[in-house]
Amino acid sequence: MVATAPAPKPVNAELLADVEPRFVKVREFLEPIASRCTVAPGFNSPEPNRIDVNIEAGDLLTAASAFYDNHWGYLAAITGLDHGPEEDYLEALYHFCGGAAVTTLRVKLPRHGGSVPSIAERIPAAGFFEREFAEMFGVYPTGLQDCSHLFLPEDWPDGLYPLLKDTEIPSPKTIASMDGLDKPIVDQGGGRFIVPIGPQHPALKEPGHFEFTVEGEIVVGASMRLGYVHRGLEKATESRNYIQNLYLLERVCGICSHTHASAYSNAVEQLAGVEVPLRAQAIREIVAGLERIHSHLLWLGVAAHEAGFDTLFMYSWRDRETVMDLLEQITGNRVNYSICLLGGVKQDVNYAQADALRAGLDYLEQRSRHYYEVVTTDSMFLQRTRDIGTMSLAQAEYLGALGPTARASGVVRDVRVEAPYGAYRRFPVSVVMDTAGDLEARFKVRLKELFVSCSAIRTILDNLPDTELTTRMPRRVPAGETVSRVEAPRGEAFYFVKSNGTDMPERVKVRTPSLCNWTSVLNQAIGRQLADVPLLIAGMDPCFSCNDRMVVVRDNSMHHGVRSASSKGDAHHTEIWTWEKLRQYGIDFYRRGGNK
Amino acid sequence: MKLVIPPLIYMLLFPGGLGLIMTGLLYEWVHRKLVARLQNRIGPRWFQPMADALKLLLKEEIIPSEVNPYLFVGLPVAGIAGVLTAGLYVPLWGFPAAYSFDGDLIVTLYLLSLLTLSTGLAGWNTRSRFSLVGATRTLTQLFAYEAPFMMALLGPALAVGSWRMNDIIAGNQGTWLMFTQPIGFIVAVIGLMGKLEMPPFDAPEAETEIVAGALTDYSGRGLVLFHIGRTTEMLVGLTMIAALYMGGINGPLDFVIKTLPVLLLISGFQTLITRLRIDQTVGLWWRYGALLVLLQWVVLIVLKGIS
Repeated sequence: MVATAPAPKPVNAELLADVEPRFVKVREFLEPIASRCTVAPGFNSPEPNRIDVNIEAGDLLTAASAFYDNHWGYLAAITGLDHGPEEDYLEALYHFCGGAAVTTLRVKLPRHGGSVPSIAERIPAAGFFEREFAEMFGVYPTGLQDCSHLFLPEDWPDGLYPLLKDTEIPSPKTIASMDGLDKPIVDQGGGRFIVPIGPQHPALKEPGHFEFTVEGEIVVGASMRLGYVHRGLEKATESRNYIQNLYLLERVCGICSHTHASAYSNAVEQLAGVEVPLRAQAIREIVAGLERIHSHLLWLGVAAHEAGFDTLFMYSWRDRETVMDLLEQITGNRVNYSICLLGGVKQDVNYAQADALRAGLDYLEQRSRHYYEVVTTDSMFLQRTRDIGTMSLAQAEYLGALGPTARASGVVRDVRVEAPYGAYRRFPVSVVMDTAGDLEARFKVRLKELFVSCSAIRTILDNLPDTELTTRMPRRVPAGETVSRVEAPRGEAFYFVKSNGTDMPERVKVRTPSLCNWTSVLNQAIGRQLADVPLLIAGMDPCFSCNDRMVVVRDNSMHHGVRSASSKGDAHHTEIWTWEKLRQYGIDFYRRGGNK
Repeated sequence: MKLVIPPLIYMLLFPGGLGLIMTGLLYEWVHRKLVARLQNRIGPRWFQPMADALKLLLKEEIIPSEVNPYLFVGLPVAGIAGVLTAGLYVPLWGFPAAYSFDGDLIVTLYLLSLLTLSTGLAGWNTRSRFSLVGATRTLTQLFAYEAPFMMALLGPALAVGSWRMNDIIAGNQGTWLMFTQPIGFIVAVIGLMGKLEMPPFDAPEAETEIVAGALTDYSGRGLVLFHIGRTTEMLVGLTMIAALYMGGINGPLDFVIKTLPVLLLISGFQTLITRLRIDQTVGLWWRYGALLVLLQWVVLIVLKGIS
């Protein structure tokens, strides 16, 4: 292997140079608020790039607004942290990210009946975070307009908050009911009616539910509902060890599986104080680059299909096969690549594979150039993308957009550059920007990112460091908290991991980029034609499986479910049926002559 | 070519009726295969459209509870009847039209619109939200392309000075009007695509917005009747364009030679262009389509006046 890798940069010095001035500013504007806190006033810095500030719940809105008033970063996530029945309190963690620095506002709350003021009025992106926090922990923000379920089913029992430590999730009920879609709304008066899109709809290959109120062809209102594929992964991580969790979290998303695996690995490695060998870091970045190419080509096809340009759809998906084959050659898998191990990677890239990669990348780059030309010059296609769904820089920042959606509006927000992790410190990439902010700009940004990814992978292949692939990783991870941010193809993926010294994590919080971008899409849709809506949704490259992570539950107070054959009088009684019993019930039902 | 066929056979079996439907399905296969190859796909086998039609005919038809059942069942029949009747006035397969009278060109054009009108009414009748939006779009689009399309097909009639299709074909025998009236020819071809709701004019059934548009709640027999109607309309439309703009049709071989290139042209357009929004479709037809055809009419009338 070629051993002429660039000299490693003094990471910490550079990081500190970026982080220090930011922290000076934070201390400045948060000082008055932090000093009022009765729990533990002051700032503490658990890691060089992080500052934790304890504040009173009443000061939350003031503190959160201060970040935005001082143009210090953006709200990345709200993490709920239950300290269990013994310590009897829970914490709400509001993470703000600016450059490489992460400032966390910590609010201490009682485990039951706690309340925080809503900050969604000031920071719209917080709306979805707060709804998730409310349904998972039972802390309902006061002043939050919409407190309906975002992820959990409508028939979820009241008072059962899944992420509280002592909540036992009962076994799944046999037949889950999905309601809320049988609303008999045709005419809302004044010629308005609601056009539902999803959860089963040809425009969405993944389940999400949108309701667009239209007047003729013009959209005048928009709302959405997620969670049709919520699998309760965050809760599941708490009962599995670190290694099992790696495979679990890789299944958060089918397209950006490597993003989640590497974000999680980075977090656990940071907690354990393990440095990943350089070659392993480089291989992780190669896979991340290929994953980005895969994701963007897939998106290009879907977006073209939504616009009604099926030829581009067919061609870009044909070429997507090439990158999937490359990924299969390197990792052995086409979808869940499973290249990461805690402390390294599973497979090496040999000479033959490197050559195959180079050849494949040449072809993909040439095809991408062609697609770039198509989406920027085809006048019919431009009619559907140019000046449509325009989002200004200020709006993008206000609505908390992330990833290519934000970069197309001129927001410089890319974790790989702002807070380089892993091999991105040695093999930096450039940020692709556009200032137009319309759909065309989003196409341009994503296609240009294909070129950047291609050349980044080539550089790494030419300078692959010659080291081991793995390093020793302890089974038990020392107690601590850490934040790991990774740039997924759709934007920043944010992980918060808390360890407790055992071989299972205390809490894993996953915030995917799609959740941050919804607010911007719903805003753009209003006032547009119905025909533009699918393309607007596709424009942010939504990923539902990323968003949703479903817990199904059996509860005797539920109003839905299978009525037992033996107790027909009691409408609310439910019980678990075996497959055999269900089959027998079906046979008897039809023998009786149906529902008489 | 003179071929004496008893009227009943003509209407029910060949070349009208069943023959028309089967040929339509074969042409649909050619169309699907062409589009597939242009989009880098394999495409269906030759009998696929027939298999689809047969399968749907055998399937249960679900009639939604809130619709008027007579309209629900009757509309597809009315639509397909219109198209099959239109088939009697065009030189299918290169045989002279079964019936001919003064003004049959106009009647044929209106008969072809009956299917679109039925589709729109069917969407309005089923009361589903997708159907309603789809029906509105179908009818909006009808008003967009209908006038330019009709004017484009009346161009050859103006050149001859008769509204009777047989006279027009006889009067232009051997002259390829697509070269002397290119605008009319192009507008007629694109108008046919609009009539058939092919991309880029497929906003009325844009699956990514409104599922299947006006026909969302149709299943089984009703759906397939609409489908066959559409396919047959394509064949009748192609025949009209070939007969009026490509120097008449002399026999079955000539029919195939003249209609297939038009089909290829349609498939090519369809593959290259992104779906237009309904406002863009209307804008395109009235801003360019109608004006260009009018311009050609003016030129024609002036030239006729001079000669």
